[in-house]
Amino acid sequence: MTAKQTSESLPILSSLAFPDMLFASIIRSRAARAQNNLLNQPNLPAGYRIIAPSGILAQGLSLVTASGLSVFADKEISYQGEPLGLVVGPDPLLCDELAQTTDSSFEALEPDLGWESFSSSQIAYRKTLVQGDPEKAFEKAANVEKAVYHNGVFDHHYSEPMGALAAWEYDKMAIYCASQWPAHVRDSVAAVLKVPAADIVVKVTELGMALDGRLWLPSLVACQAAIAARLCRRPVKILFSRKEDYLYTSKQARSAVTIKSATDANGQFLALDIKIILNIGAYNPMAEELVNQAMSAITGLYVCPSIRLEAYAVRTNILPLGALGSIGSSHAFFAIEAHINHLASLIQKTPAEIKAVNIISKGHSNFGAEPLESEIPFLRISRKLEQLSDYRRKYASYELVKKRDPGCREGIVRGIALTLGYQTDQSFFESPSMNTYIVEVTLDRNLALSIDTHGAVGSEALRAMWKTTAAGVLSMSENDVHILPPVCNSAIQCGPMTLSRGATIINSLVERASRALQKKRFRETLPITSRAQIRLPHRLAWDSRSLRGQPFSGASWCGTAIEIEIDPLTGEPSPLSVWMVIDAGRIIVYDRAIASLRASILNALNLCIGDEFDPEGSSDDRYLYQRQIKPSSYPAINIEFLESEKASRPRGLGELPFVTLPAAFYSALTQAIGVEPRQLPLRGSEILRLLEAE
Amino acid sequence: MTIDFVLNGKPQKTQIRSGDRLVYVLQKLGDFPSLIPDCLGGNCGRCLVFMDGRLIYSCLTPAFKAKGSSIVTYEGFSATEDCKDIIYGLKQASAFPCNFCRKAKIMMIADLLKRIPLPEETDIMEQMSIVSCPCTDPVSLAKAVLLSAECRNKRKFKRADK
Ligand code: FES
Ligand code: FES
Repeated sequence: MTAKQTSESLPILSSLAFPDMLFASIIRSRAARAQNNLLNQPNLPAGYRIIAPSGILAQGLSLVTASGLSVFADKEISYQGEPLGLVVGPDPLLCDELAQTTDSSFEALEPDLGWESFSSSQIAYRKTLVQGDPEKAFEKAANVEKAVYHNGVFDHHYSEPMGALAAWEYDKMAIYCASQWPAHVRDSVAAVLKVPAADIVVKVTELGMALDGRLWLPSLVACQAAIAARLCRRPVKILFSRKEDYLYTSKQARSAVTIKSATDANGQFLALDIKIILNIGAYNPMAEELVNQAMSAITGLYVCPSIRLEAYAVRTNILPLGALGSIGSSHAFFAIEAHINHLASLIQKTPAEIKAVNIISKGHSNFGAEPLESEIPFLRISRKLEQLSDYRRKYASYELVKKRDPGCREGIVRGIALTLGYQTDQSFFESPSMNTYIVEVTLDRNLALSIDTHGAVGSEALRAMWKTTAAGVLSMSENDVHILPPVCNSAIQCGPMTLSRGATIINSLVERASRALQKKRFRETLPITSRAQIRLPHRLAWDSRSLRGQPFSGASWCGTAIEIEIDPLTGEPSPLSVWMVIDAGRIIVYDRAIASLRASILNALNLCIGDEFDPEGSSDDRYLYQRQIKPSSYPAINIEFLESEKASRPRGLGELPFVTLPAAFYSALTQAIGVEPRQLPLRGSEILRLLEAE
Repeated sequence: MTIDFVLNGKPQKTQIRSGDRLVYVLQKLGDFPSLIPDCLGGNCGRCLVFMDGRLIYSCLTPAFKAKGSSIVTYEGFSATEDCKDIIYGLKQASAFPCNFCRKAKIMMIADLLKRIPLPEETDIMEQMSIVSCPCTDPVSLAKAVLLSAECRNKRKFKRADK
């Protein structure tokens, strides 16, 4: 890459090539669980070689990354498709072919696939929290309801399939890959090659909409490419085929959330007993974070005097499952919203009325967190949303239609729902590399400003925001401001770009660094560089482990309404309109924010209507037939920002659709069909079956 | 079997096997960064080329079908004024795509404007399904297409007036 390159034109792995470059394809396990695995070494054409764990160890390299992940399965296999080794050679297609035909011998074991009831050896992380006296409250309560809500495994279609390229550049090894967390890639590669982190440079390639699916997996692929490059002494590129990307990259975890509630006649919560089970597949280094985020979110918006909250991350012998936008919170929001719907249907109220009596208000908190300092703007949000979507009238008329025509035989099957949600910039984990952020701005002799955030984002809206902020402070044209492509070297310890950090933390660092540069601007000779850095306080504003502190630090608030229609012949649900009302502080680049939200809304809807990924499924071509909303049937999307907050600092908003839309979609579906499926996603045929039964 | 065809204006003669996909045959004939065999199933659009003026997925086209045809890849199309109009439209609408799908989207828009010089929103939405992209805002892309069309039509009509 040249120094002039900006992140507006990040390279893609598919077209990166180096002289003498080799390609590597991953040999994958056929068993879901096995021991004493031994890779069979077949006869290979000249110029091709197999890299197996034994050879890697013999060369003095390591199979384990700094965070304890195994780059290749050695003796034990924990899921079907787990990497066992590599075939390296000059022709990528032949490498693929050879990798697919290379076998291993092993002693197969019975895989652990059960997860809703599990053994203690399957628990990767668990946590229990209690407030008040739930037992007593349940004994006394008149209305006690219990239900289980399931969320399926979702796949996100990434722009470019997973991959990594390792090549020497002078005395350093350069790693090219699409990672949201370059510092993690660098530390992982350094650990497996047993070299100092200073010897590794990570250059980020096009990320697209990564949705937290590219936090840690790219580090493993980068380690595989780096090991191959080191052993072959040539640049090596690994690039998954689309099919491989679909079958073997991490998906959103499966969840089952059991909610038992005790309520009074108005639907006010008296007690809650909640059990969250997340199936994380074979492993997930972020299991603890998933559990903590889900626990924070499930009772985040509502207050209740007595709560028992129990959550588990459970290991099974399927591919690693983890985060996909909003890190665990969408499961929680979906379950609690679905339960409120359920209660509403029982006590003849609207879900909005039940939410109104339970919503957290100023001076209240759960689990001993600091009481809320100011009122959350939900009342304003929901009023605006109801007005925009004509919610009350539509809700009442669809209820009427449903009562007159149970089973929906006359053809109009519609529903509307409204949900509330939030996203925060909460810190997670306490390691410095997760919580340190640095921004450098440099004004060169041509009066062009370059911004180096060291953080990898795929969002064009965020990059536009940083440019506008810097251009505003320095009173210069945005055309003269460039965002440098993220490069991670030893001098930089930068946390992952996830949650709202790009909007809150990085933007304020861009502003600080630009102000510092402005002070030096007419005093020092060009080029001038200034740097702003933040290490988030060790005592975090919100500690999701202990649920202490301010749970809504840096929060953006939103309400989402959706109207859907069910095709009476096929049962397929299609969204007609989506409305969002958002309070995300100051909106710096209005058009870009709206454009990026629209794209996120469509992605979130695709997750709701798409087919569930079946990790145990056998058809390899499923990736070609993923159900998606056709551009010609995109719903009307209407987004409004709350105006009075314009003066406050900007906050993140990209995850709001992922947090709120599944819950809203489910609620609208429930209203339309008049039954509670208690799961997402749902196929048209299943909806038809439910309608028939009704 | 040997086939000959014209590729980006230059005559080509090449050996193929009966099951060969056109995209791989084209890749062997030169450096075409626009051709990224990705899904191999007519989903992603990263292999779009014009064959005798029609936009096709070269991953789904058997190579023997190229016999006697004229094929234009993005590399051939990029030198045209039509391509510049599209790039202008994409930039003006702030809808400039990433490196992974940019060339495919430009080919997709070029095809639409060739068939329908002043497309309606429904035409644009219909055409959008040719290239998969999880990050597109459809409104910005539609705006880009209309701006490209305007720019293209102005240029063409000006020339016709002369
Ligand atoms: S590779 Fe041809 S459409 Fe995807
Ligand atoms: S903008 Fe390129 S894949 Fe979406």
